[in-house]
Amino acid sequence: MNAAGKDMNCEEYKEAIAADPSESFDGGPLHSAECSSCSALKAEMRALDVKIAAALEIEVPELTMPELPAISDKGKVVDLSTRRPVRWTTPAWFGLAASVVLATVIGVRFVNTDVDHGTLAQQVVAHLDYEPKALTVTDKAVSDERLYSVVRPAIATLDRDFGLISYAMSCEINGREVPHLVIQGEKGPVTILLMPHEMIDMPIQLDGQSIKGVILPVGDGSIAIIGERGEAIDQVKSKVLDNVKWSI
Amino acid sequence: MNNSNADIERRQRFDRLVSVWHQDMYRYAAWLSRDPAIAEDVVQEALLRAWKSLDALREEEAAKQWVLTIVRRENARHFERKRLETVDIDNLTASQSAMLAETADTDLDDVREAIYKLEDDYREPLVLQVLMGHSTKEIAELMGIKPGAVLTRLHRARNKLKVEIGEGAAS
Repeated sequence: MNAAGKDMNCEEYKEAIAADPSESFDGGPLHSAECSSCSALKAEMRALDVKIAAALEIEVPELTMPELPAISDKGKVVDLSTRRPVRWTTPAWFGLAASVVLATVIGVRFVNTDVDHGTLAQQVVAHLDYEPKALTVTDKAVSDERLYSVVRPAIATLDRDFGLISYAMSCEINGREVPHLVIQGEKGPVTILLMPHEMIDMPIQLDGQSIKGVILPVGDGSIAIIGERGEAIDQVKSKVLDNVKWSI
Repeated sequence: MNNSNADIERRQRFDRLVSVWHQDMYRYAAWLSRDPAIAEDVVQEALLRAWKSLDALREEEAAKQWVLTIVRRENARHFERKRLETVDIDNLTASQSAMLAETADTDLDDVREAIYKLEDDYREPLVLQVLMGHSTKEIAELMGIKPGAVLTRLHRARNKLKVEIGEGAAS
């Protein structure tokens, strides 16, 4: 495809018009106005689209509304009030050299979720409790061999380009194998759970007293990213999304 | 606002959403699954999920992309649960055949069958562009692929269709 403002040649136009018969791409209208064969091709592609549209318009059966369950306020925002309230000061935890555990802090609210999402979010947050050693402040990276045994090609492909990966472990969420990684963020360890089988409709925000995170829908799965409050989660998020690709 | 008023308003909002988007939901599900019976199941599940998640839809302008995303995920869930085999065009079930039921227009039937035969990767962006009116960017977001990949798939999809229905390829 051509860059804005540049003239198209016929080959470029033919490729572009087959992808977009509305000719909304840069340089298209200018080219077809001056080239009769491309103008004819445009008319041909538009005629084809009329046939495609007609063929796609299959008959729709009458709507049968499913039985809709009552929605309680509890269903809209899941609040883990049963978790222990913990006092936590950022400089203290960041200053600790080893075995710094984030998970017992939490008191997390899951925002914009339904009950199913809450269950997933609860499992994700609860998982942090199981592996406290993961949340160690360190400058030591896991080996490539270790990393690729956890993020197996059958699950996902991963470039190491999103920070120092200090922990990699195969874990289980909802009975499925999940690569559990920890990278060293600006404020401390950031947990990343790659969940290729856990589909969600919308991002689930995890908002805790000392942590902040999100579970993102990614393709047919999801990825949880959880760090200390004040951590640049958005930056981590874009790096993770740029570097992880599902194989499943 | 008390709870019952809020519940009524929520239900009215949902009904409006369904009345506007139900046809698109069904057709998208049908072309994804290539089976009207599965499409009906997928739409039912998608409606339930949409009802539960309705509060997450903040802007009505985003409703179409939102409901189609739910349909797409429910369709994937359905196939994951059932582990269905690939559709064999020469050996369709009664329900699958219903999508290709002959009409008075043989040209239309030919195009429909050609679309039906397209690989999922090519059929889906075509449905989203031609039937749903999605932009390249919106298709890319929904399918989780790059805009360039969407354009390549659309280009190939149309060329395959042209070959299949005997009009030759564009390039």
